[in-house]
Amino acid sequence: MVRTGWAPLGFAAAMAFVGTLGAGALASTSAMAQAYKCPKVGGDFVFGQEANVNSLDQMTSTTISTRNVAMNIFESLMARDEGNNPITDLAESFTESADGLVYSFKIRQGVKFHNGKAMTSADVSASWDRYKRVAVERNILDNVEKWETPDANTFVVTMKRPQPTFIEFISSFSQPIVIIPAEHKDDAPQQLRTVGTGPWQLVEFLPGSHVRLKRNDAYTPNTKYTERTGFGGYKQACFNTVTFRIVTEAGARVAGLRTGELHGVEDIPFISVADLKKDNRITILPLENWWVHVSSANTSQPPTDNPKFRQAVMALLDMEEIMEAATDGNFKLNVGFQYPHQASYTDAGKEFYNQKNATKAKALLAEAGYKNEPVFLLTNKDYPSMYNAALVMSQQMQSIGIKAELKVVDWPTSVQMQGQASPSPGWNFFFTGYGTQPALGALATMNFFMGTNPNYKPKPGQEDPVLKAEWENMNQKTDPKERQAAFVKMQHRILEQALVFPFGSLTKVQGVRSNVVGYKPFRIPRFSNVSFQ
Amino acid sequence: MWGVVLRSIMGAIPVLLIVSLITFGLMRLIPGDPAAAIAGLTATAEQLEQLRQDLGLNEPFVVQLAKWYGGLIQGDLGRSILMGQDVLEVTLIRLPVTIALSLYALVLTLVLGLTSGIIAALRQNTVVDQLTMVMAMIGISVPNFFLGLLMILLFAVYLGWLPTGGYIPLWDDPIGWLRTSTMPALSLALLQMGLLARITRSTMLEVLRQDYIRTARAKGLPRRLVVVKHALTNALIPITTVVGIIISLSISGAVVTESLFSIPGMGQLLTQAVLNRDYPMVQGGLLLTTAFLVMVNILVDIAYAILDPRVRYERS
Repeated sequence: MVRTGWAPLGFAAAMAFVGTLGAGALASTSAMAQAYKCPKVGGDFVFGQEANVNSLDQMTSTTISTRNVAMNIFESLMARDEGNNPITDLAESFTESADGLVYSFKIRQGVKFHNGKAMTSADVSASWDRYKRVAVERNILDNVEKWETPDANTFVVTMKRPQPTFIEFISSFSQPIVIIPAEHKDDAPQQLRTVGTGPWQLVEFLPGSHVRLKRNDAYTPNTKYTERTGFGGYKQACFNTVTFRIVTEAGARVAGLRTGELHGVEDIPFISVADLKKDNRITILPLENWWVHVSSANTSQPPTDNPKFRQAVMALLDMEEIMEAATDGNFKLNVGFQYPHQASYTDAGKEFYNQKNATKAKALLAEAGYKNEPVFLLTNKDYPSMYNAALVMSQQMQSIGIKAELKVVDWPTSVQMQGQASPSPGWNFFFTGYGTQPALGALATMNFFMGTNPNYKPKPGQEDPVLKAEWENMNQKTDPKERQAAFVKMQHRILEQALVFPFGSLTKVQGVRSNVVGYKPFRIPRFSNVSFQ
Repeated sequence: MWGVVLRSIMGAIPVLLIVSLITFGLMRLIPGDPAAAIAGLTATAEQLEQLRQDLGLNEPFVVQLAKWYGGLIQGDLGRSILMGQDVLEVTLIRLPVTIALSLYALVLTLVLGLTSGIIAALRQNTVVDQLTMVMAMIGISVPNFFLGLLMILLFAVYLGWLPTGGYIPLWDDPIGWLRTSTMPALSLALLQMGLLARITRSTMLEVLRQDYIRTARAKGLPRRLVVVKHALTNALIPITTVVGIIISLSISGAVVTESLFSIPGMGQLLTQAVLNRDYPMVQGGLLLTTAFLVMVNILVDIAYAILDPRVRYERS
C-alpha cells in the first residue's frame, strides 16, 4: 500500500499540494490548449545583478547570486511552487510506502540535457551521488539508506527511518539536488560543467562581468501545468538570450534601468524609488518579505547568558525605529520567523515583540543583576542595514544604562567570530538576516536553533529542552497540524527566552522596463514566461 | 644600459618573494576563511569542518606554504576556491583589462595633465593659471567614485552618449572599448591629472628660472624650442617618477572604478577574493600584479637612464 503526493508534506505544503493536484488535473483534462505561449519570442534581456557570481555549481554554492542564474539552467526532481510548497518538476510523480521508508519517483519522459542526451534515472542517481559527496547541505541525505534505479524511468529512495519532512528537504532551493548528466558526477566542487535540463542553457560566463544564457530550443515543458509556478510548472523561454550583468553599485543599476541598457534590476535603493515611479518607462516591483532582520544573542557569554538580561533587552526594543533606520523605511513589522502570507505563519510570542517598555526593561535588568559589563554588538558594514540596526539597538540599550558597544568587522570575519565553537567570546549580539530559510518554511528556519548550529549558542549540554522536544515533533510527527503546532511552540519559546530578536521584514525592490511582460518578483529572478511586448 | 636593466631585474626577485610571503601570511592571519564564505550562515559546525578538510585548510601553515611554493616553481598558481578556475588563467583574462584601462587613463593624464601644467607655468599668475590649478585641485580632492557617478548621470542618463557600464575588450571592438572605457578612464585619470598638472607646473617654473634657459632665450632661440627642448626635457625627470607612481595608483584605484562601472578587471577580482577569503586567488593575483608593477618600475629606471646621461654613467 502506498500514499501519493501530499501526505508527507508540511501543513502548508500539504494544503498547497492539494491545490496543485487539482490544477494539474484541470490542466490535463481541458486546458492543454491554454498552456502558456510567449506573446513574443526574441530579444536579449539584460538583468542588472547586484552580486558577483563566482560559480554556477549549484550543488556546492549557497550564494543567492549563484542561484539567480543557476536556477534558470538546472532543474531537480522536486521544486517549490509560487507559495514555496513542494511540487514535482523532473519527477512525473512519486509515491511513499505506507511505512514511510520508501519513496519511488517516476521520471518525466522526454526531458533532454542541454547536450542533447535524454535524461534517465541513471542521471538522477549520479546527481544524488555527487550531491552526497560534495554538497554543503549533504546531510539532508543522512537518513537515506540507499537509492536505486530499477529501470530507466524509476528512481527509488530507501530511508533508514521514516522522515515525514523528507520531501520538504529535497525540494529545498537552498542547495538543490540538481540533475546533471551522469558523466559529470565526478566533477570537482565548484567545477561542475554547466549542463542542465532547464529552459535556459549557458553561452558564456565571465565572473565579475556577466553570464549569458540562451533559449534551450529542445526544452520539454512540464505539461502537468499550464503556467509557471515558483521554480516549476510550465516553463517557456521567450527571449533569445538573457544576460546577467554584474552591477554591484546601486546607482549604476538605477542609471542602467533609466537608460534602458538594463531591462531589469534587483535591489533598487529606496531613495531612488520615488523618482523612478515617475518614469513611465519603468515598472517598480516590490519584493516583500525578502528577509527577516534579526539579532541573535550569544547565550554562552555573560551577560547574555542570563535570560532576564535578554528579556530586558527584548522588553526595551522599539522595532519600528530599528527597521526604519536599517531599511530607510522599506519594511514591515513582523513577529517571528515566517511571513504573513505563508500558511505556516504564526504570531505566537507577539506579546514579547516590539514592547518599547523601558520601565519593564529596567526592572528586568535589576533582576538580572546587571553590573554595567560591556555588551558587544557584532556587526558589519558590508550590509549597511545590519550596521544601522546594530547602531540603533545599541543606542536604545544605552538609554537604559546598558554599556552597549559596537564591534564592527567585515562580513566574513563576523561570520567566523559568531560561528566559533561554544563558548564563543567577544560578542553578545550578532546581526544578520534570515532570507532563504523563512521562505523555505518553518522547518528550515527552526533548524537554526538546534545544538550544532552556530546561530544558536547554548552552553555545552544546556540546550533548551522545550526547543529540543518541539524540534523532534516538527520532524517526526506525521500529521502536518501537529508539526505546525510544534513550530508555534518553538517560536513562542524563542521569543519568550529572547534567544533571537526578529526586528521585521525587509522589502527588496526590483524594477523592469515597462515593455517587459510576465516578470514577477520571486526569491530568485525567473526568466521563463517573460517576454518583451 | 643593460647593467641598469639587469640590476633592476635582480632587485625584483626578493621583492616578489617578500610580497608572496606577506600575502600568504596575512591572508591566514585575518579572521574568516573560504569555508565560511562558501557554506554561508546556515552551515553547521560539522559542515564547516568538513569543508575545511575538503579544501585542505586544516593543514599546518608550513605545509600549505610549501605546497604553494612548490606549485609556483612549476608555474602553477593554484585554483580559485570560489570560482574553481585556474588562478593564472583568470588573472590573464582580468589583468589585461585593468592594464588597458590604466594605460588609457595614463594617456589622458599625460596629455591633459602635462599640457595644462606647462600652460599654467608659462601663464603663471594669470586667470589661465588659476583656473587650471582650481581644476587640478578638484581632480585631486573629489573622490573618483563620486566623479564617476556624476559622469554616469551626465554622459549616460542625460546625454545618452556613453553606456552606464560594462566592458567590451579592445581587441573585440575598438570603438566599443572606447565607449565603455572612456568614463572609467577619465574618472581614474582626474586625480592623477591634477597631481601631474601641479607637479609639472612647479617643476617647469623651477626649470624656467634656470640660467641656461635665460641664456637660451638671450641667444634668441624661439620660445617653443626653449620650452620643449630645454625646459621640458629637464623637467621630465621628476615627472617620470610621478608617472611611475601614477601607474601604481591607477591599478589600485581600479578597485573602485571597476566596481562602479562593472568592469571585470583585477581590482574587482581581488576585492571579491579578499572578501571571500579566496586564498589562492589573492596570493596569485597579487603576485602577478606586483610583477607587473615591478616591470613598470624597471621601465621607469630605463627611462631615467635615457633622459639623464648621468644616471647611465653613475650606475655603470
